[in-house]
Amino acid sequence: MKPVIEFKKVSKSFGETEVLHDISLTIVENEVVVLVGPSGSGKSTLLRCINGLEMVTSGDLVVNQIHLPRQKRRVREIRKEVGMVFQLFYLFPHMTALENVAFGPKKVRGFSRREANHIAQDLLDKVGLGDRGHHLPSELSGGQQQRVAIARALAVKPKVMLFDEPTSALDPELREEVLNVMTLVAQEGMTMVVVSHEMSFAKKAGTRLLFMDDGRIDEDGDPAELLLNPQTERLQNFLRHVGY
Amino acid sequence: MTFEWSIIFESLPNLIEGAKLSWYIAITGILGGLVLGTVSGLMRIAGTRAVGGRTYGFSLFLSRISQLAAFSYIELIRGTPIIVQAMFIYFALPLLIEVVTGLRGIRFDAVTAAVITIMINAGAYMAEIVRGAVQSVNKGLVEAGMAMGISRLQLIASVISPIAFRRAIPPLGNQFIISLKDTSLFIVIGVGELTRQGQEIMASNFRALEIWSAVAVCYLVMTSALALILRFIEKRMRKI
Repeated sequence: MKPVIEFKKVSKSFGETEVLHDISLTIVENEVVVLVGPSGSGKSTLLRCINGLEMVTSGDLVVNQIHLPRQKRRVREIRKEVGMVFQLFYLFPHMTALENVAFGPKKVRGFSRREANHIAQDLLDKVGLGDRGHHLPSELSGGQQQRVAIARALAVKPKVMLFDEPTSALDPELREEVLNVMTLVAQEGMTMVVVSHEMSFAKKAGTRLLFMDDGRIDEDGDPAELLLNPQTERLQNFLRHVGY
Repeated sequence: MTFEWSIIFESLPNLIEGAKLSWYIAITGILGGLVLGTVSGLMRIAGTRAVGGRTYGFSLFLSRISQLAAFSYIELIRGTPIIVQAMFIYFALPLLIEVVTGLRGIRFDAVTAAVITIMINAGAYMAEIVRGAVQSVNKGLVEAGMAMGISRLQLIASVISPIAFRRAIPPLGNQFIISLKDTSLFIVIGVGELTRQGQEIMASNFRALEIWSAVAVCYLVMTSALALILRFIEKRMRKI
């Protein structure tokens, strides 16, 4: 199994505050890692370190054979291979859904406008929004916006996809459509790291569950097993809190 | 004392000549200032999160230099009156050039000095408008662009600028109108713009009421035209 992301004793501080302590973690191809934990536990920070939106303070983080922080000037090469989906979608508000998805192929991969639009249309079809291409983000529901955001990230043809609480800004009935698309992406063999409290997704599509608390990974294992048999008291409490 | 409409009609050709010159100075200066302001506004925040995150090594050095240069320019211009700037560019700059380079007789004609003054003056204020507009773009959108692996320039050109520009239109319009009215100060360096034309006519016939009313209306027409142009641009933008 080829490692795609490797944390080797990685720490991250914001000023005086250390939010990730000595993280060691290897994520291999085709893994679907679901990252859970209470707020402030460092899961979003861990995710954002992978594509260099936050630069790790010490240790060695290897993504796509590039070492951070040593080779931080090459962070763009990582970002081309690592797609990201955000909690609040962040679609470009001045572009239609199709333009949003075609943006990556055009600007990052150098496709012509026609080719890029073709790629974008295919991806919009895939996320079930083939007929919404000409709409601006403001004309779409939250769930639709998030599906466009997933298509936008996929359009760059990444090797890894990061999801930062992709459903927590959505109404319950809109979550399902986003989770279905994510499950589809997982089934196609995409390597994924997902920060989420959706235990149903973890069980259905996840291959690995990580529980983070206070900047450390406390539990690491098969989702179904961990959910059935949480080892630490912290995880037991946490699962109760998220209503599982 | 009655309000003599005929006085206005008689002086209208001269006033229109002055208004044309005011308009020319304002528009040329504003367009130049827009370029200068955009460049220095972006330089002011070079290498910060608002325009695509931290830089390292030589580009870090370059962004610090850019920040300092833009900051100095903006503070220098905002900290001095425009009338002093006009006097300096028209009267003092040729002497400064002579002191520094030894070249004599390099000087601008009054209209060129006026255009340059508007350009550097409006540029400094527009730089702050541009900076504010760019910094107001949602950080998440900037990160979404960064996360795709596009270059800094692509990020600024395709994501940040279109959003920032929409936000900048109202304050830019304000600055356009201020700059247009500031052209009346060039009376002090002998530019035959609208205010000076009014002053000259007034000096020959002493009809202050008619002339200054007419001059005021001329300015009002020009500022309304500018406001209309801006409203048109704003309307044509896609709503976001």
